[in-house]
Amino acid sequence: MKRERKENTISFIIGVVIFVILMFPLYWMIVTALKTQVEIFQVPTPLWPKNLTLEAFQSQFSESSATMKGFKNSFLIAFSSMIISTVLSIPAAYGLARFRFNSKKLLILFFLMMQMLPSTLILTPLYIMFSKVGLLNNYLAPILADATLGIPFSIIILRTYFLSIPKELDEAAAIDGCNPVTSFFKIMLPIAKPGVIVAAVFSFVYAWGDLIYGITFMTDPNMRPITSNIYNYVQQYQTLWNATMAFGLVAIFPIVLIFIFMQKYIVSGLTNGAVKA
Amino acid sequence: MISRKKKLNGPGKMGFLFSLPAVIYMLIFVGYPTISNIILSLKNVNVFNFSRPEAQEFIGLSNYVELFTDANSVMSRAILNTLIFTVASIFFQFIIGFILAFLFSKKFPASAFFRGATMISWLLPVTVAGLLFKFIFASSGGIANQLLMQLHIIKTPVDWLLNGPTAMVAIVVANIWIGIPFNMMLLLTGLTTVPADIYESAKIDGANKLQTLFKITIPVIKPAIMSVLTLGFVYTFKVFDLVWVMTKGGPINATELASTYAYKLSFEQFEFSKGAASANILFLILFVVGMFYIKLINAEEEVM
Repeated sequence: MKRERKENTISFIIGVVIFVILMFPLYWMIVTALKTQVEIFQVPTPLWPKNLTLEAFQSQFSESSATMKGFKNSFLIAFSSMIISTVLSIPAAYGLARFRFNSKKLLILFFLMMQMLPSTLILTPLYIMFSKVGLLNNYLAPILADATLGIPFSIIILRTYFLSIPKELDEAAAIDGCNPVTSFFKIMLPIAKPGVIVAAVFSFVYAWGDLIYGITFMTDPNMRPITSNIYNYVQQYQTLWNATMAFGLVAIFPIVLIFIFMQKYIVSGLTNGAVKA
Repeated sequence: MISRKKKLNGPGKMGFLFSLPAVIYMLIFVGYPTISNIILSLKNVNVFNFSRPEAQEFIGLSNYVELFTDANSVMSRAILNTLIFTVASIFFQFIIGFILAFLFSKKFPASAFFRGATMISWLLPVTVAGLLFKFIFASSGGIANQLLMQLHIIKTPVDWLLNGPTAMVAIVVANIWIGIPFNMMLLLTGLTTVPADIYESAKIDGANKLQTLFKITIPVIKPAIMSVLTLGFVYTFKVFDLVWVMTKGGPINATELASTYAYKLSFEQFEFSKGAASANILFLILFVVGMFYIKLINAEEEVM
């Protein structure tokens, strides 16, 4: 008993140390955003702001700033992409989990493989394709491209949820006169709800985090997602670190919110998606 | 014809129909571009004939040959860099992730909180994480230099991102920070599958901690380890955002990866066909490792 307690204390102390080290970069981001430029370049730079200032944030929140415009664009792009990805993935995962058909194995392989493709592989052809149909500098271009990141992942994790539902439920539903479509909506979908949330969350996070499609398909500064905007901002204002970090904090804000409220789902998604496939 | 029709009938047909919309979507936006990228890589499309298809012609494998023989090409360098970047990242991510998984598999005060909170680095937009580390490793004002000097590890500030080898160290460190939670969570899931009574009997047999680790824990969670390593390889090998933001492949190609080089060829030099060829080489490597991963999980649990 006593030994266990001692072990617990040691584990706790190690836990604190690891937490501090791993969280330090994030802490540094927040602290830097609250500092003045003078303090940032002071040697040695203070580990917490001596003259706390919100200056760096104020410049981010003006109506015309690249930050707020990018935020709105990113929200539109990530949300739409999430809808496409989720709406297509749910039935596909259901079909691949609850039915037997010839090409099933091949299709599962197809989606597993899709998850591993590098974005650079399809970037140039997509660029040519979108330029031909006039979709460059159109929100649809990143929306359509970002959904390809969410779909394979969503199908793979949702499938594990549909697989875990007992077969007897199908049979009971069939006896009650449900066809596959009605039993999908009335029985399967409500049970798989946690999986649907995981799929939606990840599709949103992937689309929000995209850089390569944003910088390639959107050259109009007013239409760029926030990741492209912050990238361009740094090219322009190389060492304006407090403003850059404030910009970055705005860019990660929705992700941090999702993380705080959906942590349970995120952990299950990460482990189910990768190990079980 | 008849047998095919027969197979598609019945409840199985429903399953196929359910998955069809997603399959069609992926074929249009990934399948077609992949094939068109292969065709593009066999042509000579660049900024001059981009909008004039009649001026484009097939030139066979010349792009691929030139990527490796042309004096201006850094393809071999990029592949080597990508390998160094990937192996170094995975090595440290895995070891740190493994140690953390062990620690957090124990129940101690606030363990769930610590474990959960460290996950955040994996979810952040990589662009922002890249900028953060660009600042951390900045020559002036960067905290890395300050901490290392206070610890007397270095005497004068290091221009991390301006020298080749140190720039590679910087992007690897940033990537390790991003990837630790992924390794930790997957290995942690693996550890929870080890039955507690195995440890009990090992203790009774007088095995020490190291023996228990190598003789019991590692063999039992080997599937999880293999998954983490192969998936980690695939994800790391195609990293683009992080390096693009931190170094853009510089200084002088020192951190040029296969992905950043493909992007530069296509969208900075407008050598679309060459860019396509280099992306295909990246794809081919990922494809081989990816197949290995799929075979692995297929054997692990008869999922299909």
